[in-house]
Amino acid sequence: MDEGQTPFSTYRTEVRSEWLDYNGHMHDSSYAIVLSDAHEELFAALGLSVDYRATAEASFYTVECHIRYLAECLLGQVLTASSIVVAANASTMWLYTELLHEDGRRAATGEFFYLHVDTALGATTAMPADRCERVQDMLAAHAGLPRPAHLGLGVGAARTGSGDA
Amino acid sequence: MTEARVCAPLRLHHATVLSAWVDYNRHMSEWCYLLAFGDNADAFFRYIGIDERYRREGHSLYTVETHLHHRREVGEGESLSMTLRVLDHDDKRVHVFHEMFVGDSDVLLATAEQMLVHVDSRAGRSAPMPRDLLRRLKAIHRAHDELAVPEAVGRPMRISRA
Repeated sequence: MDEGQTPFSTYRTEVRSEWLDYNGHMHDSSYAIVLSDAHEELFAALGLSVDYRATAEASFYTVECHIRYLAECLLGQVLTASSIVVAANASTMWLYTELLHEDGRRAATGEFFYLHVDTALGATTAMPADRCERVQDMLAAHAGLPRPAHLGLGVGAARTGSGDA
Repeated sequence: MTEARVCAPLRLHHATVLSAWVDYNRHMSEWCYLLAFGDNADAFFRYIGIDERYRREGHSLYTVETHLHHRREVGEGESLSMTLRVLDHDDKRVHVFHEMFVGDSDVLLATAEQMLVHVDSRAGRSAPMPRDLLRRLKAIHRAHDELAVPEAVGRPMRISRA
């Protein structure tokens, strides 16, 4: 299979002690850290790394994030991420990521909506043309991948049976 | 809590943006919004009677879903105040909505919509809430039902092309 037809899935981590709550489970907020770290790898693959952002005086501002917690994560467990670019234009990116346990069970899903911001102006700004092209290439490469039924639905969608949780 | 006076919305938690919470721009990091909303949820749990003892006895409320909207950045040392309202519930689930403001102002920083599920932690599955907990929730829901539904509730994520 062409590598471009699979989700972006380079990220791998082990659950760290500082991510746990008082019960020894990964804290709600730590899922956001892991999902953001996974998205950093995707940004870097598109030439939009932290270094690019520092040089360009740009940043990614998260407008929205929607996390579904599906399984507990314990100290030392290995987590991997599988991401698709759901939609994007010159200044916005919508990513969907599944956080997976080693046995393939989903630990969480996350939808993040990012704005590319000029930090000096404090306003949304277009990414450079070569970066836009790479974003659009990944968007096109992911276009044929199956979309989960709960994508783009609000909180509680799964309880009505329209989700796939 | 006394059922006669349920604040609508509830205002149970304040916080200050700690130096450990800010990124290199001195703005609060994204994951800390979830941390602060989590603390607000904990304050709500204590308010309805879910405390350490309740947890030790084998039941708790777990977050199954969170939808966060960021409105504004906030810097180190700023004070935060939180509201929480109960949008809906049944015998196992509670649907809540949090708002985070700068200090006592009406400057909205972020909102979080959450679905919580009551679980039997030993059995590892959802379980109905006990009657007195449900009674308290019902009273809160009744008081909060009169509030206007926030615009962010139930709104799916999408790119606006307006």
